[in-house]
Amino acid sequence: MLRCRYHRICACPTIALSAIAALLLVGLVGCGKDETRVRPESVVQPIPKDALVVDFPDGKFGANIIETVAGDVATVNPLVNESVGGSVVIGRILDSLTTLDPKTGEVIPNLAKSWEVSEDRLQYTFHIREGVHWSDGQPFTAEDVVFTWQTFFAKKLDPDTGEVLTDKDGRPLYRYNSRSTFGQQINGQEPQVEMIDAHTVRFTTPEVYAPFLLFGGGVEILPKHILHEAYEDGTLMDQWSVETAINEPWKIVGLNMFVLEAYRPGERMVFARNPNYWKVNSAGQRLPYVDRIISKIVQDANSSNVAFAQGQTDFESIGPDNVAWVRRGEERFDYTVLDMGPSSTTNFIWFNLNPGNNAEGEPYVAPYKFEWFSDKRFRQAISYGINREGIIRGVFFNRADILHGYVSPKRKFWYNDDIRKYPYEIEKSRALFREMGFEYRDGDLFDGKGRRVEFSLITNSNNGLRVEMATVFKENMATLGIEVELQFLDFNTIVTKISDAFDYEACMLGLGGGAPDPYAGKDILMSGGRMHFWYPQQQTPATEWEARIDELMREVGRHTEVEVRKKYFNEVQVILAEQQPLIFLVSAKDYAGYRNRWHNVEPTPLGGVTWNTESLWAEVSE
Amino acid sequence: MIAFIIRRLLTLIPLLLGITLLVFLLMSLAPGDFLTPVKAQRDVPAELIEAIQTEFGLDQPWYVQYYKWLGNVLQGNLGHSWAYKLPVSDLIGQRIWATFLLSFCAFVFSWAIAIPLGVLAAVYKDSIFDRISAALAYAALSIPEFFLALLLVFFAAQTGWFPLGGATSIDYDYLSFGGKVLDRAHHLILPTLALGIGSVASIMRIMRANFLDTIRAGFVTTARAKGLRERVIMFKHVLRNAINPLVSAFGFAFSGLLSGALMVEIVMQYPGLGQLMYQSILREDQFVVLASVMLGCSMLVVGNLLADILLAWSDPRIRLEGKK
Repeated sequence: MLRCRYHRICACPTIALSAIAALLLVGLVGCGKDETRVRPESVVQPIPKDALVVDFPDGKFGANIIETVAGDVATVNPLVNESVGGSVVIGRILDSLTTLDPKTGEVIPNLAKSWEVSEDRLQYTFHIREGVHWSDGQPFTAEDVVFTWQTFFAKKLDPDTGEVLTDKDGRPLYRYNSRSTFGQQINGQEPQVEMIDAHTVRFTTPEVYAPFLLFGGGVEILPKHILHEAYEDGTLMDQWSVETAINEPWKIVGLNMFVLEAYRPGERMVFARNPNYWKVNSAGQRLPYVDRIISKIVQDANSSNVAFAQGQTDFESIGPDNVAWVRRGEERFDYTVLDMGPSSTTNFIWFNLNPGNNAEGEPYVAPYKFEWFSDKRFRQAISYGINREGIIRGVFFNRADILHGYVSPKRKFWYNDDIRKYPYEIEKSRALFREMGFEYRDGDLFDGKGRRVEFSLITNSNNGLRVEMATVFKENMATLGIEVELQFLDFNTIVTKISDAFDYEACMLGLGGGAPDPYAGKDILMSGGRMHFWYPQQQTPATEWEARIDELMREVGRHTEVEVRKKYFNEVQVILAEQQPLIFLVSAKDYAGYRNRWHNVEPTPLGGVTWNTESLWAEVSE
Repeated sequence: MIAFIIRRLLTLIPLLLGITLLVFLLMSLAPGDFLTPVKAQRDVPAELIEAIQTEFGLDQPWYVQYYKWLGNVLQGNLGHSWAYKLPVSDLIGQRIWATFLLSFCAFVFSWAIAIPLGVLAAVYKDSIFDRISAALAYAALSIPEFFLALLLVFFAAQTGWFPLGGATSIDYDYLSFGGKVLDRAHHLILPTLALGIGSVASIMRIMRANFLDTIRAGFVTTARAKGLRERVIMFKHVLRNAINPLVSAFGFAFSGLLSGALMVEIVMQYPGLGQLMYQSILREDQFVVLASVMLGCSMLVVGNLLADILLAWSDPRIRLEGKK
């Protein structure tokens, strides 16, 4: 046939369009390089006088770490950041005066080589390491520390009168509302900061405040020479955005072991070693050993685990539901998966104990149900009726531990084992119900007035493990003769229900560890707290035991002697266990993996595998 | 003609108003807001949440928020992204070219393959080639885009011939200019396939049907009788008559250039606008969602306009009027 020739003509627009596509491609490649923004030469300063000598065998320089991170970052500005992923990135670049010992959990020197606490325990004087420089070569001094704290507490001023603007309750308005602005206040008062000399800085707390070394000392120091201008002209919160990270990453200057070298949104971040880092090895060579960390951004933790299981990445934290199949590649891809012990996350159930009414004047919880829920025997009976071993076996395949109380066993130091425990004992549970005047009819439980005992439980649908735990809970309750209706909801809906609308009966949620100080839990434990799940933001404590916990927590915050604090906090744990406002279930285990080519790997439960990244090294393969 | 274009563009204004109003209403009805996930974190002080709520205007009713937003937009300010603390236009600017390139490649790929195939299938009607192409087209049409993307990711993982996602390799920044172009092209192949194959099938079937209709028309016989060369008949007369419905389809294809790749981008981890939109919707980062919706809507109107203009150009029977 003759018609085959027609191809030729058809192909004409095709060629033209392909040419456009190719041009676009070339254009895009070209766009990435903006010649006007030139990376400045990095200034390398001599090794600081007070350099920290790490206690690890010497290694070889030059390897790269390849890793995956779940989810993109939204900002590199610590004052703005609200995500865990962002904190990890910022934590690689910025550093703080004190840090936590990854082995013991104690507060240890970091950028501050030492400190003194005054007699009245109100003044903290930090001595900063001498000769430390920012990654761009500028000296690091006490001025940077003072500047960082200034950004937290700078007030909004009236442009005409110069007076501090206040809100309707008379509280000052702040120029930059960051987490630290409010989080670093001590009972609504700001700590004072003053520079004694270039290497000494003194903090004065308004009252004795035990966790100051941890919370205040742990503040990530910002470079004054870079950010001062933005602080003055009011654009501080817009600094260090992803736009900066893409176009001028060298402007993000820090004191930690890495600087951001490149960032491609949705794709990857590249960190290069900070040429002015202040830790050295025993031979006096500046650390870290690795040249770069290449972080590929992936969709979620599962894809991240897949990449590790295929030998593509060097370090990885692995969830309890993925560890079994990740372990299968250990030999083939030459990596090791470690059991890091219990995680600091907790899972629990609580009943809505809010006695208030909604906008229509209806009580949040039906009054007869409120009567059940607010009886501690009811909550104890439920707690006895939960088969936690069953959850661990059936849901976690033994990769979890029983959680008896508020403190996860991971936090060994604050963990009190001497509290009331609730093993799976149905008879005890039934006895408690009978004591309350409840009765069984054909195996179903009815209250004293003949009403069927039933309630609904909400939990978030996107957490598979939690959905399974809720299902086991429903089964357990059916054994007790209680009908539980499960509602799996969107996470935002749950948060709205438990923090604003209060239209729910029971809820199952989990909490991440938080800072390793008991006072970090004040918003959960104290009755006025925002996260006092069962009845948040009470004006005055609703019950005597809540009042007692408030009192004890205030003492925990007010004392600096560890033993005294421990005594008070132990009592808090005893009351919580007796009252069961939060019915704790289990705590999943943590797992971590690393490629065997890495040396100096010394994982600890608190610090994970990469807490000593500066000392990690590997042979460089050609 | 110009009056027609202006009239069409003017219809965009009420359209955008309506759509953004609807999006605002829907987002205010959706449970929670941008700050809800923050509220669920244990160590966020209540005062901070309050302060940010006031700063973002989240404590006001949705219509007040809409009014304020509209005022800003009229002044050319699309607002700041809450999550990124960046102007929305900058944020979209970062991602738009990657998505445009992908969609454009898929577009070129599908049209360049589908039209010749459709013509061939029509010319060799009922041949083996026609039957095989029909079978393949039905197969391609019945596989959803995201599933095809998953299959391709699996293929890439199994063979190792293609990268598993992203738009550039790890060593991209250290490559020569030519290397960079090749690297990007290598990363584009699979997403282009995933995005393009479905439309190859549909365009090809439309092309074939139209071509067959036209080939039987009286003027073709006349042309043949006149002694015109077969090539001229096919391309000057038949193709031009057969292509009209495809020109309208072209308008729709254009409108999807920036927003159509969402599924493929998410599955194949291609760092484009789709991922940004998806994340913003999940986060309820209001102004980014609004800007994305407005972009998609404008592209649709412009795409249809383009189709109409092209139609008028290719078919002299059609006249575009400013007024009815």
